[in-house]
Amino acid sequence: MPSPLPDHATDQARFQTSKRTLAVDRLMTVVIKFGGALVITSVLGIFLFILLQIWPLFAPASVEPLKSIPIPAAKYALLGIDEWGGNPFLVKTDGSFLVVDYESGAATDKAIDLGTTAQVTAASLNKREQKVILGTADGHFILVSPNQTSREEGGRRIVETNPKAEAPVAIGEPGRPVIDIAYGDSGTSKLVVALQSCGETNRLTASLFKRKRSLMGKSREEPAGSFDLTPLIPGRPEKILVPATGDSVIVLTGSGKAAYLVLEGGRFEVLQTFTPFEDLANPHINAANFIFGDVSIAFASDSGANRIFSLFYPEGSDKRLFGFVHEFPDLGASPVFLVSTLRNKAFLLGGGREISLRYSTTESIRWQAALPFTAENAVISGKYQRLALLGSDHALHFYNIDDPHPDSGWKALFGKVWYEGAPGPKWEWQSTGGSDDFEPKYSLVPLIFGTLKGTLYAMLFAVPIALLSALYTSQFLDPRFRSVVKPTMEIMASLPSVVLGFLAAIYIAPLIERQVPSLLLVAAGVPLVATASGFLWSRLPIQIRKFIHPGWEWIVFLPLLLASAAALWSLGPAFEAVAFVVTDPATGQKTADFRAWWPAATGSSFDQRNSLVVGFMMGFAVIPIIFTITEDALSNVPKPLVTASMACGASRWQTAIRVVLPTASAGIFSALMIGLGRAVGETMIVVMATGNTPIMEWNIFSGMRTLSANIAVELPEAPHHGTLYRTLFLGAMVLFLLTFAINTVAEVLRQHLREKFKTI
Amino acid sequence: METPAPSHSPAPESRTDFISIRNFNFSYGQKQALFDITLDIPERQVTAFIGPSGCGKSTLLRNLNRMNDLIEGISHSGDIFVNGHSIYDPHIEVISLRKRVGMVFQKSNPFPKSIYENVVYPLRVAGQNRKSVLDETVERSLRGAALWEEAKDRLHESALGLSGGQMQRLCIARAIANRPEILLMDEPCSALDPIATVKIEELIRELKQEFTIVIVTHNMQQATRCSDLTAFFYLGKLVEYDQTQRIFSNPAQKQTEDYITGRFG
Repeated sequence: MPSPLPDHATDQARFQTSKRTLAVDRLMTVVIKFGGALVITSVLGIFLFILLQIWPLFAPASVEPLKSIPIPAAKYALLGIDEWGGNPFLVKTDGSFLVVDYESGAATDKAIDLGTTAQVTAASLNKREQKVILGTADGHFILVSPNQTSREEGGRRIVETNPKAEAPVAIGEPGRPVIDIAYGDSGTSKLVVALQSCGETNRLTASLFKRKRSLMGKSREEPAGSFDLTPLIPGRPEKILVPATGDSVIVLTGSGKAAYLVLEGGRFEVLQTFTPFEDLANPHINAANFIFGDVSIAFASDSGANRIFSLFYPEGSDKRLFGFVHEFPDLGASPVFLVSTLRNKAFLLGGGREISLRYSTTESIRWQAALPFTAENAVISGKYQRLALLGSDHALHFYNIDDPHPDSGWKALFGKVWYEGAPGPKWEWQSTGGSDDFEPKYSLVPLIFGTLKGTLYAMLFAVPIALLSALYTSQFLDPRFRSVVKPTMEIMASLPSVVLGFLAAIYIAPLIERQVPSLLLVAAGVPLVATASGFLWSRLPIQIRKFIHPGWEWIVFLPLLLASAAALWSLGPAFEAVAFVVTDPATGQKTADFRAWWPAATGSSFDQRNSLVVGFMMGFAVIPIIFTITEDALSNVPKPLVTASMACGASRWQTAIRVVLPTASAGIFSALMIGLGRAVGETMIVVMATGNTPIMEWNIFSGMRTLSANIAVELPEAPHHGTLYRTLFLGAMVLFLLTFAINTVAEVLRQHLREKFKTI
Repeated sequence: METPAPSHSPAPESRTDFISIRNFNFSYGQKQALFDITLDIPERQVTAFIGPSGCGKSTLLRNLNRMNDLIEGISHSGDIFVNGHSIYDPHIEVISLRKRVGMVFQKSNPFPKSIYENVVYPLRVAGQNRKSVLDETVERSLRGAALWEEAKDRLHESALGLSGGQMQRLCIARAIANRPEILLMDEPCSALDPIATVKIEELIRELKQEFTIVIVTHNMQQATRCSDLTAFFYLGKLVEYDQTQRIFSNPAQKQTEDYITGRFG
């Protein structure tokens, strides 16, 4: 018996949604919400991570007091410190060392045998040699090695100081007290310069010692001449500075002049005399010191003005002279000491209670403070981590310096910076160099420039080709071929860019280098041939044209264009022989070579890995993307609009230009922007084909370095959390902001276009 | 049942036969849509094509200005003459044919441009850019399409801001802007409300003073209201062609009678 049909009046179950459907619905809602939140969180997380990485680049130095250790009240000739900042020492006038141990807080006397009983009247530190030179009241100098060693013990660093003195050597006028002394050591010779007080006048003497190596391997120093420099100085010498290389002397006079003397060919010569504070009412130099590297000198005037002079070759000069390079704000007190570091271009300027830590290259004040005591002298440990201040309250005050990126900041990263040795300020990227005193240059401007340049050339090549081919494919080509062309282009879009880059570097770049004239002919000729043949075709009587069905015209044009391209390419060498002849100025010989002609004619360089290659290859990466999206946009223009236009008697071209293109403009614009985004972020092609030269010129035949390539190239060499490491993250951030800005502007414009050309 | 061959020239009065369709066959790929159509359309008259969906009336209409050329895989035999010239003559550019034969579509399709630019589009593509000519054309065409009063103050606003009926009248104004000889209308009122339909029908009656009009319609009343001649198609064949009055009052064919009385279709 068949089961009775359910009673419709009472069976309410058919109106109910099953519990399972509701459960799945709720579950999926939760899953989707969770997924969305996860995506947003991770994007924000990445953003936050990058921000955390780049923040320290812009942070000022943090200098915090550690402890103060009292020392006996006495007159001290010198304040020095070890590399770790654990054992600062003071040199007393009797030559003995007072060593202050940071860990224990003890100040112990270390007596040394100077070999003389004369008072120490002058002292200075040779930082490169880590030696102290003392000048005595009886006209001698003594070299003292502090002999500092360190070892780890139970997690603490123990530093020991056991000073050792060499025998005193007489210098200058016998018996006259030395009031300033300095020396430099080039390894083969040593130059000691002493300033002695001889009653009314000051006498300046330079003693040269040559180091000779005997057969036994032990070196021996021999005097190689003493020079009385006093007559060379325009005024009364007051202070001397000798660079570590020991080949020159800078003498400061009482009237505020600085004389630059160079030892050349066995004699001294005044190369330059300048007044650092020429424009001030009181030009007197109160404090001066070399900046690390001994190429720049920081000067401070009585009033607290602070200027940096550097050695460089001025435009049109073959002599390396001092020039005014940087200026800092006034200290706000009369400077007493100016000490530099052994690690970077920072220096400490202090006077009274004012103290300021400044970074020479970027003209930035890393830290400035008013002290609770009056500082008389200061010293910074070799690792730029600890600062010891000698207070007039008979105590040594220790400070911790936390300034991991002193060479960074807005100015260094984005502004023009006058680096040491350069003839002027400029934007420069050069992260590593050969020597210890090399200064990394972290300007992102050349990289941003390179990114824009590469993008520009790629877009110049890609946009016309991609747009026109999309227009042709969607509006003119027979649909049968369209269904072949489109997927082919889409496959092209999936070509790995490393393959394109490899091809560019290994094959295209050398080919283009040899065949620039051919390329120029093809680039100019093929579009001309295409336009001309199209025009001629339209003029042909319809009896001939009717043989080619609309959409099949390429059967005629493609062979024609290929043939003309091949012909023009082969004409290249002949064109070169006529148009690109360059005469060698030395021999008068004429050669036809574009590679030589370009630099001669334009003054800009010709590199094998150049923007043309990048534009070409990156264009290849970008064309399929722009093509596909543009083609979609054009094909999606409502058919009725096309038929309406056709019915009005418009030709295919008129319909394409007047109706299809404007209607699809929003989509085309998106295509261009996505292409642009791809070109901006493209990495592998530019790494392999640009030469990675961070230069700033629009020259099409020179290379570039883009932000993305820079990250790829430099990241393996960047020490974790170092300035370079963080700067690379900043580069990534700039890249992100660049694409973000482009996309935002693009989206606004796209919305505007879409509103303007929306269809019903 | 054998259908007697319909007369192809129904007009007893001495009118010029402006469009002559001779033994015209037409196929979309393998599917034949029109069978041996022979038909004469007189000048400055409204000729209506009626018939059930898929009977081939729109296909024939779209062949008169070769709009079907845009479709893939079509083929035809026979010939169509406009003013004595074959439209398939290889010496004739299809563009000049379309300038001669204007067309209004079932669904209004204004360009996303201003009203003004929509109307002058046929002139612009013909190379006419003189402002005085364009201005005059806009006024004449919009008056012709009975849209001038409503649109004269917003000529430079987007055409997409018009109502459905206004848009269709704008499309008529666009179709007549370059003064074609023939106006083809493919169910011009099917998407419009009754009031807009009445306006368009009035317009068609006025336009026949100047143009030869061929209209495809599903609406019997519309055919009786505004056409002079009516051709009835069924399954790709021309069943009957006569004065509209006669077709609707005294059709010669049984199929015609069945259709117009609503027995099928």
